Amino acid sequence: MKRALALLMAFLAGSPAAAQPSPFDMSGERPAELRAAPPLEAAPQRRDAQPSSDSPEADALRPAAEPFRRFILPFPTLSLAGEADERAWSIYLTPAQAQAGRKLTFAYQNAIVVAPEASVLSVLVNGKLVGEGAVQAADEPHERSYDIPPGLLRTGENEIRFRAGHRHRTDCTIQSTYELWTEIASESAFITFEGEEPRALSAIEDIQAVGTNETGRTQFNIVAPALEQPSRVPMLMRLAQGVALLGRMPSQSFVFSRAMPDLGKPGELTILAGTATELQPLLPSLPAEAATGTIAAFAETGTAHAPVLVLSGPNWTAVAAAIETITAATERPSNIPRDVIQTERWRLPQTPLVFSGKSLRFSDLGVATREFSGRRFRTALQVAIPSDFYADAYGEAAILLDAGYTEAVRPGSRIDIYVNGNIATTVALEASAGGILRHLPINVTLRHFRPGANLIELEAVLLTEADKMCSPGMAASSEPRFALFDTSEFAMPDFARIARRPDLAATSGSAYPYRGSADPVALFIDRTDADTLSAAGTFIAKLAVAGGRPMQIESIADPLVADGRQALFIGAMPQLPTMVLTQAGIDTVSQASWGSAKDVAQGRNTQTALDEWQTRLKGGGWRSAIVDFESWLKENFDISLNSLRLIPEAETPFVPPEAATLLVAQSANPAENATWTVVAAPSPALLREGVAAIADTSRWSDVSGHIAVYDPVDDKVSATPARRFSLVETQPPSFWNYRLIAANWLSTNILFYAVLLVSLAVVLGLATAVLLGKLGRRT
Amino acid sequence: MSKVATLTAWVVISLCLVTLITLPVNMQTQLVASVLVVTFMALIKLLDAGGKWRLVALAFGSAMVLRYVYWRTTSTLPPVNQPENFIPGFLLYLAEMYSVVMLGLSLFVVAMPLPPRPSRSATPGKYPKVDVFVPSYNEDADLLANTLAAAKGMDYPAEKLTVWLLDDGATLQKRNSTNLVDAQRAAARHRELQKLCEDLGVRYLTRDRNEHAKAGNLNNGMLNSNGELIAVFDADHAPARDFLFETVGYFEDDPRLFLVQTPHFFLNPDPLERNLRTFEKMPSENEMFYGIIQRGLDKWNAAFFCGSAAVLRRKALEDTSGFSGLSITEDCETALALHGRGWNSVYVDRPLIAGLQPATFASFIGQRSRWAQGMMQILMFRFPLLKGGLSIPQRLCYMSSTLFWLFPFSRTIFLFAPLFYLFFDLQIFTASGGEFLAYTLVYMLVNLTMQNYLYGAFRWPWISELYEYAQTVHLLPAVVSVLLNPRKPTFKVTAKDESVLESRLSEISRPFFVIFAVLLIATALAIYRVYTEPYKADITLVVGGWNLLNLIMAGCALGVVSERGEKAASRRVKVSRRCEFSFGEQTYPATIENVSAHGARVQVYGLPTDELLIDVKGKIRFQPYSGDGTFETLPVKIRNVETEGDLTIVGCRYLPEVARHHSLVADLIFANSQQWSEFQRMRRGNPGLVRGTLWFLWLALYQMSRGLIYFFRSIKTEGGASR
Repeated sequence: MKRALALLMAFLAGSPAAAQPSPFDMSGERPAELRAAPPLEAAPQRRDAQPSSDSPEADALRPAAEPFRRFILPFPTLSLAGEADERAWSIYLTPAQAQAGRKLTFAYQNAIVVAPEASVLSVLVNGKLVGEGAVQAADEPHERSYDIPPGLLRTGENEIRFRAGHRHRTDCTIQSTYELWTEIASESAFITFEGEEPRALSAIEDIQAVGTNETGRTQFNIVAPALEQPSRVPMLMRLAQGVALLGRMPSQSFVFSRAMPDLGKPGELTILAGTATELQPLLPSLPAEAATGTIAAFAETGTAHAPVLVLSGPNWTAVAAAIETITAATERPSNIPRDVIQTERWRLPQTPLVFSGKSLRFSDLGVATREFSGRRFRTALQVAIPSDFYADAYGEAAILLDAGYTEAVRPGSRIDIYVNGNIATTVALEASAGGILRHLPINVTLRHFRPGANLIELEAVLLTEADKMCSPGMAASSEPRFALFDTSEFAMPDFARIARRPDLAATSGSAYPYRGSADPVALFIDRTDADTLSAAGTFIAKLAVAGGRPMQIESIADPLVADGRQALFIGAMPQLPTMVLTQAGIDTVSQASWGSAKDVAQGRNTQTALDEWQTRLKGGGWRSAIVDFESWLKENFDISLNSLRLIPEAETPFVPPEAATLLVAQSANPAENATWTVVAAPSPALLREGVAAIADTSRWSDVSGHIAVYDPVDDKVSATPARRFSLVETQPPSFWNYRLIAANWLSTNILFYAVLLVSLAVVLGLATAVLLGKLGRRT
Repeated sequence: MSKVATLTAWVVISLCLVTLITLPVNMQTQLVASVLVVTFMALIKLLDAGGKWRLVALAFGSAMVLRYVYWRTTSTLPPVNQPENFIPGFLLYLAEMYSVVMLGLSLFVVAMPLPPRPSRSATPGKYPKVDVFVPSYNEDADLLANTLAAAKGMDYPAEKLTVWLLDDGATLQKRNSTNLVDAQRAAARHRELQKLCEDLGVRYLTRDRNEHAKAGNLNNGMLNSNGELIAVFDADHAPARDFLFETVGYFEDDPRLFLVQTPHFFLNPDPLERNLRTFEKMPSENEMFYGIIQRGLDKWNAAFFCGSAAVLRRKALEDTSGFSGLSITEDCETALALHGRGWNSVYVDRPLIAGLQPATFASFIGQRSRWAQGMMQILMFRFPLLKGGLSIPQRLCYMSSTLFWLFPFSRTIFLFAPLFYLFFDLQIFTASGGEFLAYTLVYMLVNLTMQNYLYGAFRWPWISELYEYAQTVHLLPAVVSVLLNPRKPTFKVTAKDESVLESRLSEISRPFFVIFAVLLIATALAIYRVYTEPYKADITLVVGGWNLLNLIMAGCALGVVSERGEKAASRRVKVSRRCEFSFGEQTYPATIENVSAHGARVQVYGLPTDELLIDVKGKIRFQPYSGDGTFETLPVKIRNVETEGDLTIVGCRYLPEVARHHSLVADLIFANSQQWSEFQRMRRGNPGLVRGTLWFLWLALYQMSRGLIYFFRSIKTEGGASR
């Protein structure tokens, strides 16, 4: 147990040897080679750093032999809201962990209006109920701990499912259902393992078991003593991608450093990448093989069994080969489309990727047949679409709904469909005697769809006479009123497929165009410091996860070299070449000024000021009449005067808002044959933090349009749409695709359609006149 | 070659437009495009641009209609697995598509109607020999006398003109009928008409058996005559004097010409015109057919024979062994057969005959039933689209003419479709309120504009719909029966000499009141539901609006079936002809103001009124157009007298004693075809869409109240009678 280092070696194949558990190391900056005494505070999460003292773990602190725990929530907080809600995801367990998992523990708190006698919170592991109980923690978080039946956990993917059924204490209105919630904090939810073996990682695929920390995040620490050498950047980026693709966690970030970080923190994995000579000072017990051949394996530091991944060799080429053993395992051809987008770590099931006309049954989308006795039924499913999706303006998908409702359901009840949180359609349930809907088509506008995974929520709002009266106990009635059947289908029609440039949504959704780039992606980093490299690693790794495959990266020192190639420019704003910023549509004045916190009024955006003046002057004259007309059009017909333009508005250089700390901008290169993406922040530190923040799946999907900025105060990504863009062909030419592309383009440039229609009709009329002059009798 | 190139270019342009139209663009785009297109259409219409711009406007309209069709087909049909919605929904869809196909066919037919032909008089000295056939079944002698006299009085060399009365009412079969009364009547008719013909110098012909109805009768006439050309006039269609001069010339130009058809002009209003009082100011129903459609057909060499007022070539008829009698519309069938054998037809757009049309609603329906059933028979027996020998335009033209008569189906569906929603809550048309606005409303607007564009001066807005609705109620069973039993319908002669002397409800008016009541209840229900079910008020409003439109139509039709009583037995025709009026021994200068088949109104100067007595005999002396310039005398009987200063207006009734008197009456009424054209021109005016619609609304409201008053009055009398 006290062995300083147990090195598990693998030559190219990365095959596992044996794991040696060792005590935890929480000893701060101490180098890894120093042996650590068992720490006093050994909980994997720093409870004492948290303000909440009512957490059950607070008492659970024991000086020694703290059993190994793994946090299980892939988000900071799990919130189950409404009358019926559930969430499922999977966690990866190593063989030792699968053997030794004993208890699932979590603490929950719920809204005060939840009626405990009628509300249940259940936990299922691999489809088996491991425990459930009334929802009764209105005042403070209650801890629940359930034994995991032996043999239930498996090596590899394990499904965790939380399910809540809530009923209101007093109210029966639809509105009241929004007051029902149960929350579980990430720091309180974990699986406890027996013994020390589960701490260790042994095989390369065990990287998947990296897990999350107490806030639901994952961090990879890459220790590369020679990271300042630009020549090493491409391989390090490959490494980041490979590891990220194995991890696949919703919020992964990379931290590059020269020195060894703290080891043994949950949700973190430290990777040493360097030649044997470079790593020797960091890891004195580096096996001798590193001096002669490629080595890619887990090693254990002396303390706490904290695993580190060592990628080493006698020279950089050997290290590169070691990196490739990891990354090559995640490689997949760029020309074969994926069937699914891997979202299982935060939402099960895997999200199917739909390319054209296809129907998917709800049962395959993870929606089961359910009967419902409450008033607001809600369920969700995910569907992914490719990056060259171009049907947001005209397209409609359909949900073919199989459902039933009893005669208790009054007219006025309805089914709402939400896409990525936006209402897409409403269907009234009208039959007063109940009804069974068999494949009732509900058209869902594709307007809110974006490349990558899309969340579609189906909500049934059910009104009944009984709820109107709301006699005591009525709210808890379990008489079903509504049933959704898993034979329902989501039907996606053939949609237009062509890529846009710029389109950050395609980049964030599926790494377009970097994913499929034949040439290596050009990466421009002006200064290879740790922060910039960390940001680049996090960003490129996120792209790789979005694209489902690692990309080849090539460092460039001059933007001109990038010409003709897909390129990424990552750096602090002052470090980036002005020419790149100009090309990306960023105001170059802000290059120096951004982040220096000048007087806010000075940096005021002309457009916002103009808009404000316009509203101020409202109330007279023809100008206000136009504004009135515009708002009327917008309100009633969803037509903006902007879409009635024949020539698109000119784009003004973008001035990043002062509050923002990160900017992602995309544009074509000067030759207009490749895409340039700029990731910039006022300083390298802000860059690293900002990229780590947007790399969280919940924010990453908001990266869209021409320019996206991240504001840490609001913790929000806001996007500026692209006014001008070019279309980039992604499919072999076909009439039907062109037709749909035209439909979408004309649906966004609607005056063009009208003008085209009128002109063609005029031509046809004149042609008919000529034709009729020649046919039939004339006088 | 240039024809082929033009056609190819046209097809390419059309394909481009169709591609653009079938793009699945969103509703906003549709809305903006519709606003622009409708604006352009309105602009072209306001500028009254014709020629090429007319076709451009039609292209605009067609584009919007096709957008509607595309949307309707791809987005609005209820799902198949909801049969209670799908079946009525699909029927409604078929009805709409039928309307669109009919619109397409009419667009083709009337895209560029031939301008009225310049007068083509027969070349003097090359007059062909003409047999005039006047087939008769049960018309009385007075009516026949007028027609025969008018036919005999046509300007044409006497030796080249033979007028035949083909009497089917006194055949041997009828005279030997086992029914004694019928037999006696037939025998009396036989004698009377033989005498009349003798007096008028007309040949009388009857046959042994009444086989193949009118077609058989005409064929019998052909067997017994030998003229190069055959003119056919119905018993109540009297020709103007220039009829033959204006028509036979065309046969000289084209040896393959089999038909010269002229319009039917009616002296009396049809029951709708009479009951709605529109005869004097609104173009008649058939003017759309004769004023535009036949001209359109003529462009494609597809003008067809309408049973009367036409000249045919004997050689052509012999080519198809005479008139075809498979269907009960032998006229159209004959034309179809001859077109199929490569013969040509010509339409002369100038009224050259004047006739009578059914006076009561019941006989009007009887006549339309015959047309509808006959056209259905042609559709089934001779399916024109696939008939050999026809050119493609001819096929389309005949399809247009025959398919038209399926309108009772689509009308019925349009009538009842809203009720599916209002009464049974069925969703047979899936669309949101916004889509209704962007597609359906635009479609309807564009459709009305196009109708107005095509037929504006000949057909006022909503009148087609009214006529179709009024006929649908009784035509639907007729069309269904012929579809089930194509050989069953037999030729029935339409009664045209009836008159309505006192105001009453038509004997077949009941269904109209029932439908009106149902629609009224549906309207009330729609209003109720808007308030009680606010969450779907938009759909209810749209469907309720549609139902309201039906209700307005049904309300207007109540006036149609409420027959107005008329004092005069037959319609009067303005003439303004100088004459002399003699009374006793005195003769006074006078002007004939107007005439009818039975009498005349005469303005007399200086007549001592105190001496005048009702029922006293007098005489009118005038110069007939047909004579040799001498004045001739027609005996009359004074019926009423009015005095206006020096002028006395005398209403008198003819007392024809000899055959020549019939000729004089015919001369008064029928001699001058110019006046008919003028009368028609006077009525032709396009009120425009807005004014026309407002006028129609007012009319509907007024007629509805009149219909209801008649209805309650009839209940009272019935109640009184039963007591």
